This record gives sequence, structure tokens and C-alpha cells, in this order.
Amino acid sequence: MEAGTSEATGSPEPPEERFSAGPIREIGQGAGALVVGVAAADAFNEFVPEGHRPKDVLPGAKSVIVAGNQGPTAGAWRSPDHRVMGITGYDFRENVAVHVMCDHIESEYGYRALQAPSLPTAGHHPPMSMMLAAVLAGLGTRSLAANIILHPDYGLLYYAALVTSLPLVPDHVMAQNVCPAKPCVQMFKELGTTPCLASCPKDEGGCLDGAIDDDGRISHSYYDRERCHTRSANFGVGSIQKSLVEIAGEPDPDRRRSMIDSDFFTNSLSAMSFYKESVAQCFECMRVCPVGQSHKRLK
Amino acid sequence: MSFFFVEPEIYERYREEILRLSDSFQIDIQEHLPADVRKRALSDAEIADRLGLEERVVREIRVVAERDYYPIEEWERAIEFKDKACRAFSRHGLSYVFKYRDEL
Amino acid sequence: MSEPDPAKAKAALVEFATRAGAQVCGVADAEAFDAAPEGFRPEDLLPGAQRVFVIGGSAPRAADWASPLHEHQETMGTSDRIHSLGLKVAKFIESELGYYALFVPPGMNTGNRPFLSIALAAELSGCGSPSLAGPILHPQHGLLYYSAIVTTLALPPDGPAREAACPAPACVEMFENEATVPCVAVCPISDGGCLGGEIVDGRFANRRYDTAKCTTRVYTHWVPGFQKALGAALDETDPERRKMILYSSFFTRTLWSMTYASQSQAQCYECMRVCPVGADERALK
Repeated sequence: MEAGTSEATGSPEPPEERFSAGPIREIGQGAGALVVGVAAADAFNEFVPEGHRPKDVLPGAKSVIVAGNQGPTAGAWRSPDHRVMGITGYDFRENVAVHVMCDHIESEYGYRALQAPSLPTAGHHPPMSMMLAAVLAGLGTRSLAANIILHPDYGLLYYAALVTSLPLVPDHVMAQNVCPAKPCVQMFKELGTTPCLASCPKDEGGCLDGAIDDDGRISHSYYDRERCHTRSANFGVGSIQKSLVEIAGEPDPDRRRSMIDSDFFTNSLSAMSFYKESVAQCFECMRVCPVGQSHKRLK
Repeated sequence: MSFFFVEPEIYERYREEILRLSDSFQIDIQEHLPADVRKRALSDAEIADRLGLEERVVREIRVVAERDYYPIEEWERAIEFKDKACRAFSRHGLSYVFKYRDEL
Repeated sequence: MSEPDPAKAKAALVEFATRAGAQVCGVADAEAFDAAPEGFRPEDLLPGAQRVFVIGGSAPRAADWASPLHEHQETMGTSDRIHSLGLKVAKFIESELGYYALFVPPGMNTGNRPFLSIALAAELSGCGSPSLAGPILHPQHGLLYYSAIVTTLALPPDGPAREAACPAPACVEMFENEATVPCVAVCPISDGGCLGGEIVDGRFANRRYDTAKCTTRVYTHWVPGFQKALGAALDETDPERRKMILYSSFFTRTLWSMTYASQSQAQCYECMRVCPVGADERALK
């Protein structure tokens, strides 16, 4: 049977009815999401391999709804102590909004809905990318800064998503890229770099590199995720594993005891216990990003 | 087998290639880039196909290699990097990345 | 604060909990916890305890059950929501009704024993009944997550449910024909699984349950998995092989599961996936 034709008659199938996402968007925003966008489930196919698509998580998936929320407060961004945001940079409100929208879809529409699995299940890999979901839902575009998705108004947001069999009218991928911002384009012309690239340059032991073409668009980007992990997840799963290799290999009991009681290992265990501490612990490329700065300026 | 892990010899043979094919180093992945320019990482299953290994072996090598890539000293350096950058921003604002790099 | 009428207080409490998302509510008498060992009863947690108020809900949704990716429920099957609701209910009792209310901690106390068995509380409050598979089943909703609040407020108790949700009629019929039921068939103790038992006179009987085996499935990547993997790493004398264990995908996942403990504690749903109780609610478009 050809796609789009009826098996019985061979005539074209009527287009599938798609619901407006408006009421669900309102529910999500009422539950704490700052922004809500919708992507078609099939839109993922072009960008991610099999095994990481919405239909791999939920057979019959039609739509992905993405909720975004701000992380640190304006005050936290101003703290000179980087550990402040390393511990308090995330409050998970977008996940609450996703749960509320899931409940609403299953109870009011009678379609299936699940929270998209975004926690790592194999090394760094989650089953689904929330960053790609945000792009496809029209909430932002990738930046030169670690490929983080920037919302045109708010800049850095945290995202959670749900996958549903409910066919919804999707939002569009943004026609205009958020990154680079105009000042960054100008800066690149003059200095050959941007604030984020300068804050964490690959050639000086950092994570980032990139280029902007004459049309003011990103033409090249480089992101060393493994180095970024040592910074953004400084204390947590990775540092515990690194420490354990050292501790287990240390033959001297006194040195071993010192390693176990060290500030580094203690912080690592603490970060794992209080999981908010292990989610985002480096904000340096975002700290200097001009996008969304207006929301970080208060009295 | 009481506990599944890869032997060091197998790991050493494939670690670099597997990391290169996965998403440890992300180059030109922006969605707006033309399809012939835009790159994407391969999944463990795709890498396994390419290298003629089992998917589980590829996954295992990748996961170990992700953790193994930088020594523990890099975690220590990360603390210093963030402390200096955060304090420089607090003192000088965004311009620290250009005018006050000597403070990093 | 005036003395609340127990019946009205209960109605107000049920309304508050239901509005906040509870699917079922029930009240157990604090003195009914004879089956719990001394030290793990309501009075041991809160002197003067009169009742245990139980709420149920926030179980995996229809779509969660439909996912072919077992990692999905392993990482997203959170019981966090029902416990945050339990805490709200406790605060409501104290602020609006003026009685002590203790939210029963969801974690373990000592020796793998919870502070108070929330499953027993759910049973004694009539929110559900025990099943051959183990979890308390509500006759309409099937598996639910529960949270319990011990209080000094003497609410009218509900007591245990009169009718057992397990075995479902379909399971009774299956046992007559095949001498097994879905939950046992999917995880048979006689074939490396956790469950055994039969149905006698329409009730389950001679239940066998391998707790240790179930732990390897429900907590594959959580604290027990971490302990096993750490043991293997420390037993390994070759530094390179030890590194392979400590950086392995298994060990990495145990650490992530511990980090996200509220999301990752329940890692096996197979006996419940095939349970017919509440299956109607798991069938959506």
C-alpha cells in the first residue's frame, strides 16, 4: 500500500485531523512552564538515528510538546561564587508542567502521553534529546555555546518534553537563528571571536570553537563535550568514578583515607545525593551571552 | 561472565574511533546548516555496523572512553577555571572576556 | 482553632487531596498495624497517633505502559509526585485542622525496612488489597503509588477493602486452564523469576516470592547494583580491568540512578505490565 492511500479503495486518505495545541499550551503555562512549543514526531527523523526518535519511545507518537523554563535567577547570575549556580541552577518546574500536560492529554483527550525520557541511560546518552525537541518545537535555535538552545527573548532555558499519540498542529522551526546575536556578529568581524567562544576557547584548554559567515550565520561550530562534562558536571557521577579509580589503586592506607575524606570526593558524593547539584555546574559561556540579558538586569 | 565489561585490549583498540563517531566532539550539528554540511553523531548501533562489533560492546567502549578521555586533573582545573571566570565577570561584566583575560 | 467534627474533617481532607491529584484516599486505624513489627508502627513514629491517612495516584500512565523501551519507565517512573502530595496533605492537617500530621518518609529506615510499610497502610485503609504479584492493587485503577500520613486526628476509619482486587476473574479462568496467571507466567520462580503461587477457591494461595531476586530487577541500577559493582571492582587486582568496571555503563547507570533516586527507584514493571486489574485505564488511542 502506498503511503497516503487507502488500502481498500486506492484513493487518497483524508488528511489526519490535527488538534490545536492552544488549550494544552495554556495548561502547561499554568503549571509553571514559561514557554510551550509543539513539534511533529516525524520531524526528528532527519536529525537523529533510529533508536532516539519519539516513535522509538512511544509507538504511534504524533507530537512532542516541549516546556521551557528559566534556570538561575538574575541574582544568582550576579554572584561572584560560581558554586551558587552549581547548586541552585535548576528547579525542574518544566518537568512539573510536562506531567500536568500528560495527565490532561490522557484524561481529557483520551490519547497517550508520556514524559520524554531525558535522563542518561548509557554513558552520557539519554534516549531522547530535549535540545533537538526544543529546536523542532520552535522555541529556539542552537548556539555556538556548547550548542545550547537559545530562546530569542530569554536566552538559556531548561527544557522537558512529552511524547503523545495526539496529533497536534505543530509549531515551526524558527526561521531566524537566535545565535549569533547582532553584537556577536560585529564582534566576530572585528576580533574573530564571540563572547562565548572567548570565554571557553578550544585552543586554550576550553570547549568551544566556531565561525560566523558573511551573512551573519554560524558556518562552523566545535564543541568538546567531554571537557564540558568536567566543568558542567564537575562534581557528581564522573568525578566519583574518577576518584574511585584513584582511591582503589592507592596502596597506602593513610593516603587512601585522605583521598576518601578529601573535599573533592566529599563534594562529589554530596552532588550525587542532592541531585540538583549535579545537573548544571558551569555557566561561563552563557554568563557572557548577550541573548536574554534584559532578563538578568534588576535593581 | 559475572559482570559485563570490556577487556582493556579491546577497549584500547577501538576507543578513539568510537569516540570520533559518537557525539563526544560535536562539529557542525546546527539544524540550519545545509544537509550536506550538517553532521550528526552515529548511534551505538550504527557504529557497531560500521566496525563489525556488537552494539553492546560499542556502547560499553563508548561509555568507558567518555569517562576516560580527560584525566582527573581536568576536573580540578575545571574548579579553578569557573572560579576565575565567575569572579572576573562579577568585577567587570561581559567585557572581561576581552579586556581582562589576564585575570583568568 | 475549634475542635473539628471528624466526619467533616475527613470530607474536607479527601476533597483537598482529590483536588490536588489523589485518585484514591483512605483512613486506617493506627492500632490496626499488628502485622508490622514493633518499632515500625504508627505510634512508633508519632506518639498519640490515631489514624493513618493514605492517598494513592500518579502511577505510570497509559503511554508509559505502551513504551517498548524498558529504560523509559526505569528512568521516568517517578513516585515523587505522590509523595509531594502527601507532604501537602500533612501540612493541610496541621494548618487547617490543628492536629499533628507526620508524612511517612518514603525511604528506608534500617535493614531495608521502611519507617512504616506504606503498602500495609494502603491495605488497612481500604485503598487496595494485596496481590499475588506483590503490589497493592486498587480494584479500578490497578497499580497506584501511595503516600501515607500518620496523624493524631481521629478521622472515621475506612478499614480494609471487603473485596480483593486480585485475582481478577480473567486470572481465575486462566489458572483453571493453564495452572498459572499472567504475573507468575512472566516472572516464574520455578524458572529464574520471583513469583509463584496458585489460586484456590477464587483466592490466591501458597504465594512464593524471591525478594532477593526481585531486588536485582527492581533495583538493577540503584544502590544494590552499585554495591555489587563496587565489590567486583575492589576484588579486581588488575588496575586496567578495575578501571573498565568503574567506568562501565553498568556502574555509570547505578550512579545516575542514585543521583536521580526519586525518578529511578522502580526499575521493573513486568508483573504489573501483564496484570489485568486496571488494564482498561491503560488502553487509550
